[in-house]
Amino acid sequence: MRGGRLSARLAGLALLAGLAVLVSVRVGAVPLSLSEITDALRGEGDPTAIAIVRQLRVPRAVVAGLVGAALAASGATFQALLRNPLAEPYILGVSGGAAVGAVGAIVLGWAAYAGWAVPVAAFVGATVAILLVLRIAASVGRSLDTRVLLLAGVVVGSFFNACILLALTLTDAESFRSAIFWMMGSFAGASWTVAGVLSLYLLPAILLLIALARPLNLMAIGEETAGYLGASVERVKLVAYATASLLTAAAVAASGVIGFVGLIIPHVIRLLWGGDHRFLIPASALLGAAFLVTADAIARTAAAPTELPVGVVTAFVGVPFFVWLLRRRTV
Amino acid sequence: MLEGSVLRYGRLILPLLGFAAGCDAAVDEQVPLGGAPGGVEAVDDLGRTVRLDGPATRIVSLLPGATETLVALGAGDRLVARTDYDDDPALAHLPSVGGGLTPSIELLASLRPDLVVAWEEAGAARTRPRLEALGIPVFSVTTQDTAGIFANVERFGRLVGLPERADSLAAAMRSELDAVRASVAGRERPTVLYMIGLDPPMVAGRSVFIGEVLEVAGGRNVFADVSAPSPRVSLEEIVRRRPDLVLLPASGASSLPVERLRELPGWRDLSQGTTRFEPLPADVLHRPGPSVVEAARVLRDVIHPDLAAPQ
Repeated sequence: MRGGRLSARLAGLALLAGLAVLVSVRVGAVPLSLSEITDALRGEGDPTAIAIVRQLRVPRAVVAGLVGAALAASGATFQALLRNPLAEPYILGVSGGAAVGAVGAIVLGWAAYAGWAVPVAAFVGATVAILLVLRIAASVGRSLDTRVLLLAGVVVGSFFNACILLALTLTDAESFRSAIFWMMGSFAGASWTVAGVLSLYLLPAILLLIALARPLNLMAIGEETAGYLGASVERVKLVAYATASLLTAAAVAASGVIGFVGLIIPHVIRLLWGGDHRFLIPASALLGAAFLVTADAIARTAAAPTELPVGVVTAFVGVPFFVWLLRRRTV
Repeated sequence: MLEGSVLRYGRLILPLLGFAAGCDAAVDEQVPLGGAPGGVEAVDDLGRTVRLDGPATRIVSLLPGATETLVALGAGDRLVARTDYDDDPALAHLPSVGGGLTPSIELLASLRPDLVVAWEEAGAARTRPRLEALGIPVFSVTTQDTAGIFANVERFGRLVGLPERADSLAAAMRSELDAVRASVAGRERPTVLYMIGLDPPMVAGRSVFIGEVLEVAGGRNVFADVSAPSPRVSLEEIVRRRPDLVLLPASGASSLPVERLRELPGWRDLSQGTTRFEPLPADVLHRPGPSVVEAARVLRDVIHPDLAAPQ
């Protein structure tokens, strides 16, 4: 019976995400009627409308959804592993590493040669940061201590931030501006290629995290207890850290640093329906997708034709909602 | 804080940023005049030959200086959109596609332009590849210096099918610049510091058009030895060079009044010496287009106030 209710909730969240994608395709800087959009989706009618809907809006909504799912699932995992409600996808220095990669590619002029240079450099930078943090944490003590891991993440993140400031100070004003645009985070670069690469990568990673849900439930209680109850703690930790970090790395590479989603979405699910990770991780992924797709639709339309940074919208919409949710639960 | 300063100065320094690319008029002469009958072509600042089937009739310019050039060529009625940077009232009736660096791609596509003139970001080129994926020709410019301004006149003239107009416009601009140059001939040339941004101090270097026009207008650019277009320099270096004249272009609410600047450390020492401080309208001066002529006159009048026409 309980399982049935959980699947119904997941189906509801999936429906919400689907609805968000439809709304996101419906709205934009160019006013298109519903029939124009359905025609364009079928590949009929005005070629400009077809290009706008099929090459701009749909891939963008898909990429926003994938990134939202990745960040929320990764945030839920980090919160369980670190047993820290403030944990979020960027906590272990991933964003700093990605930003160093991206800013480096911009400042050194690689970005001018190929469109994929910046995302690839961002991903490489994020991976270097992950390896560095895990290496530092592993070199202290016999097992991965979450406190050491957190500190290593903060230290590596600070170091990379300093590298970015140094690069920005020494570069010319134009690269400076490009780098700042990148760091603000945006889905403006979305395309079917980006959506394809992301989904090939993100969906298995999210499934892997869902498969780790039972040991994560035990870990959330405490590592010692989890060990007594039969979880192979060190292996679960390593696999979950690596998967969640790489999820974040791919999301950052595709869209820059978008805050708030990975921190708040898992809390929303927990406040509404409890913290069982078998449900929490897929539910967070779906709600994260719905939320980020909606936020991007607002970012594109609120001040059209100017696009707002999507991080601004996630915070402006999400914070009041979250405060309301917190108050409702405690009263 | 960094974002803040970029947003604040973004509009002010937009046309002055970046590297001076090879926008020599000579480059274009090597291009064979082939292509489709009735077709037009020109080489952009990335060295790419942009070919159109015929003179462009639906144009979007994402750069105020390029927009101004197109209007001066008599192609203003072919513009189908403007950006938030364009403040020319003659363009106010056109829809805006947003900021020139971050335009709404779908709005641009919906206007079906047959030519988009865009600034090429040295870093992440966001606009050009996405427009080209939609089949919209993009002419990339990175105009920095006066040679680039004249190259644009010639190249845009070809792309809109009005090469004679371009020739006469360029000739008129040259003769007006020569007139300004002649009016200050034989005069003493004071050293001039042109402030592009204040915090951090960013000045006009040698390879930016405003630095070149300073010399035409009878001044000596105090940072003419720096080859970067808009170098960031230390306040110490500014104080050490002790310019005769500090020019402070102002636009909108973000700019600091000259009176306040004179009170600040470092600047105070200059103002107590022989240095003169003058505010200037940034809108006329920061547009790499035909208004370079107007900029030369404005600068001449402020560098040599006795030559200014009585109001």
